Amino acid sequence: MKRTLTVCPYCGTGCTFYLVSDNGRLVGVEPSTTHPVSRGGLCVKGWNAFAFVHHPDRLTTPLVRRDGVLQPSSWDEALDLVVARLQAVQKRHGADAVMFASSAKATNEENYLLMKLARAVFGTNNIDHCARLCHSSTVTGLAETFGSGAMTNSISCIDQTDVILVIGSNSTEQHPLIGSRILNAAHSGTRLIVADNRRIRLSRHADLHLRHRNGSDVALLNGIMHVIIAEGLADREFIAARTENYAALAEAVADWTPERSAGATGLAADEIVAAARLFAGAERGMIVYSMGITQHSHGVDNVRCIAALALLTGNVGRPGTGVNPLRGQNNVQGGCDMGALPDVYSGYQKVSDPLLRDKFALAWGVTKLPAEPGLPLTRAMDAASAGLLRGMFIMGENPMLSDPDQGHARMALQNLELLVVQDIFLTETALLADIVLPAACYAEKEGTFTNTERRVQRLRKAVEPPGAARADWEIICDLAGRAGYSGMRYANPAAVMEEIATLTPIYGGIGYDRLDPHGLQWPCPDRSHPGTPILHLEHFSRGLGRFSPVAHRLPAELPDDRYPFVLTTGRTYFHWHTGSMTRRTHLLDREEPRSFIELHPDDAARLGVRERDSLLVSSRRGEVRTEARVTTMVIPGVVFMPFHFAEGAANVLTNNVLDPESSIPEFKVCAVRVEKMP
Amino acid sequence: MRVLTSDRLDRFFATLAQTWELRLPILLPDGTRVIGSPDDGPIALLGIAILSKPTAAFFPQQETLFTASGGVLEEPLAPPRPLFVLGFTPRDLACLRFIDRFFADGWCDDIYFRLRQNSVVAGLSGYCGPGGTLLPPAGGDCDLELFWDGNSWLVIPYSEAGEAIVAELPDTAPPEAVELFRLAAMTPPDENEIVIKRASELLRGDRVPDSFWAEIGDRCIACTGCNLACPTCTCFGVQDWRTATQVERSRMWDSCQLDGFMREASGHNPLGSEALRTRRRIHHKLAADPERWGEISCFVCGRCDAVCPTGIGIFAVARELVARFG
Ligand code: SF4
Ligand code: SF4
Ligand code: SF4
Repeated sequence: MKRTLTVCPYCGTGCTFYLVSDNGRLVGVEPSTTHPVSRGGLCVKGWNAFAFVHHPDRLTTPLVRRDGVLQPSSWDEALDLVVARLQAVQKRHGADAVMFASSAKATNEENYLLMKLARAVFGTNNIDHCARLCHSSTVTGLAETFGSGAMTNSISCIDQTDVILVIGSNSTEQHPLIGSRILNAAHSGTRLIVADNRRIRLSRHADLHLRHRNGSDVALLNGIMHVIIAEGLADREFIAARTENYAALAEAVADWTPERSAGATGLAADEIVAAARLFAGAERGMIVYSMGITQHSHGVDNVRCIAALALLTGNVGRPGTGVNPLRGQNNVQGGCDMGALPDVYSGYQKVSDPLLRDKFALAWGVTKLPAEPGLPLTRAMDAASAGLLRGMFIMGENPMLSDPDQGHARMALQNLELLVVQDIFLTETALLADIVLPAACYAEKEGTFTNTERRVQRLRKAVEPPGAARADWEIICDLAGRAGYSGMRYANPAAVMEEIATLTPIYGGIGYDRLDPHGLQWPCPDRSHPGTPILHLEHFSRGLGRFSPVAHRLPAELPDDRYPFVLTTGRTYFHWHTGSMTRRTHLLDREEPRSFIELHPDDAARLGVRERDSLLVSSRRGEVRTEARVTTMVIPGVVFMPFHFAEGAANVLTNNVLDPESSIPEFKVCAVRVEKMP
Repeated sequence: MRVLTSDRLDRFFATLAQTWELRLPILLPDGTRVIGSPDDGPIALLGIAILSKPTAAFFPQQETLFTASGGVLEEPLAPPRPLFVLGFTPRDLACLRFIDRFFADGWCDDIYFRLRQNSVVAGLSGYCGPGGTLLPPAGGDCDLELFWDGNSWLVIPYSEAGEAIVAELPDTAPPEAVELFRLAAMTPPDENEIVIKRASELLRGDRVPDSFWAEIGDRCIACTGCNLACPTCTCFGVQDWRTATQVERSRMWDSCQLDGFMREASGHNPLGSEALRTRRRIHHKLAADPERWGEISCFVCGRCDAVCPTGIGIFAVARELVARFG
């Protein structure tokens, strides 16, 4: 028996637990009693996080495609081939003809190393990861308004606030140990406003449930801000002392009367007034949001409005307040922090800044680093189908299921000259690869993850990887060496973190020796710094908080006669993204074994559909078969589908239209037709 | 009644380790306390409540039932050395007694008894509860009991195996300690025990309306923690892992708070709402088990309340229920 303290591999809440192993096999999980977030609890995914690790489907050897078939190979052969073929593509088509996709499931050290590999070894800024698909709008929107794209406050602030506005976040399912804290707060007297047209669990405990139309968040928030200003509820002192551009906001929302906002959102005018009074009337107000805000063609605008609402009510820089984007993946915060993004190095240091380029070039021992920001992941698919991008190295992501418009993604990946996939299972994407590299999973390696409240925590190795599988960081370093680069030799991930700390001011004081027992919250600039639970205390990262008023824009595709329903997509509680781990976990897959679509009883009656009937759902992109779930979770005219299931994949239907600033796809709104299968 | 002073503990365990595979209360690096192997960390007989269930020593979260390959069935062997498990509180011991009977009743769960048989179970009581609170002695349900009187451990054997283990210890318990033990044994039931009993009466008297369960169920996020932490929860699921050459069947803790637990093949679920499932969880322990076994199967260990992220463990629910209907 052995117990290894580590971090949950699923959501960004960052619960820690002990993996219990016996003779090299995991046999269970025991929660940490003392952890400030999980406090002795876990959600169902955490309790089962050990269960997929030894699954017989795990990849155990490198695979190389020969005569059209993926066949086992040695590491030497596979890695030499990866390097040779990446270099060949670059020689023929230029350095930027290859792209590296990093992973929000990989550690900070691995994200850092992959971005170093892309930039220092292969000379391209074409590096990105799935943050593009979840919170790129947040990173852009909050950087502009506050100067930092991360959750401003800590999870424990939920216990110290008077009112919480949850907008576009099904927190009890997607961040269960945060959602349950909100639920508990609501039961202990904290007022709760839920703005989400699905009847999510939190809405059933809320003082106000606003079921506004999909994609009408700007109209809602502008309406709320109008009422706050009109009724004199704004925090004038805070606005005067800590913000700029207030006049522009006031002007922009001046004609967003509750009636106008009601017209655009489908709400009643008095609901908007009530929300404004409830939120602005409280001493401390917290805003919590997630994909319902970000995954729109106007995702950045949504974030700007949220930032403005917090500024307007003086709800930044104090306990129990703040703008709190809940980061989805266990390490999507870290992936961004580590610069697995096309425009920044670790710590959000811009590649376009020559001084920073010099700093990294010097540290990495290279003469030159590319200056032009690279391709965002979502644009890479277009570039690949247009033949501009020729090679892709994908670590721990499964765009075949996670990207919008699956047909487009498949075509793009098939169009590549070279596709390398490094993963723990043979995913739908790996099946298309030329070379597949078997990776260790979270339980089989060391490293750090950064949770949604910027808490950097230790991941620890509990068991050996299966077969010849190796940790991502080892594979990356091996590739660097084979590509002739000598600057990526590390004894262990702790040594990688030392390098990160020297180059990344917000991680300056992070070191493995300082992370016990419950990690440190960045910014942590030096070795004596205790970490930062709340950002923007005295001043914003950018100086003054900026109001960025925005106009309401409709989603790119709205229902019409041919496609009369709004489809909104998301996840279920029991599965994680493309299901490569949870669908191989007995209890989790038993809970949700099949693709389904939620449909309102009125719509079901009109279509003659009963519970569990087979349905054909089609959009302009494609069609899938799925199963009816008749429920008042959704409002009439709106259907919801999770995207976990390869059979009945929601992303066959979704619209690959991007926010112009953040390049996030509009996963939350597209138009579909629903028919009963004969 | 024998005495074990703190300075002799190490030697005591070292001797035991020659015969037994030890499972002891351990302090883990982040301050969590579990019943684990001495390799996991320092032995900590005193400290905060142990949240993981001690019965996991015999019924782990996941275990192999057999592997089948080429027509040959292989079952896991009994461990080379039997287990010595210390750390059960008196309430945990009642839980263990309950599941021992459950696993032996009618059919015998050989996988459970593979680990349980020949094991030695030792209880911890006395002023060793969280913050030095008193855990009244178990007075049985184990092979031996260690009672902390504030200075040293009184050791009371209850079985032959227990007798043999303590034979070497000095028989020098001071009379004050013996008196302390005697008084502690007479501690009246605490508030939680009373509330659980009262809730059981109300449930069995059919005094709790469905609307109550709808309200409580609405707060259940189906984390399954209440079941997985409960020492008297014994439900498990079964899975097969197939490779080209073999099938491995294993079982893992299951939870009645999951929809799939009772879902029929048709898709219909007679317990298809959180309200019904929450009712079942409480009802099983407080109303069904008293009918079947003659006793409430919640022994008031407090784990479900400690792990439930939304505050609806059995004490919380029982308190609410008694306040409203009692
Ligand atoms: S809430 Fe998130 S981090 Fe915590 S156990 Fe669940 S999935 Fe893991
Ligand atoms: S208190 Fe909860 S965990 Fe403990 S025995 Fe009772 S029901 Fe089980
Ligand atoms: S611990 Fe609480 S939330 Fe979790 S399944 Fe049990 S009752 Fe539900």
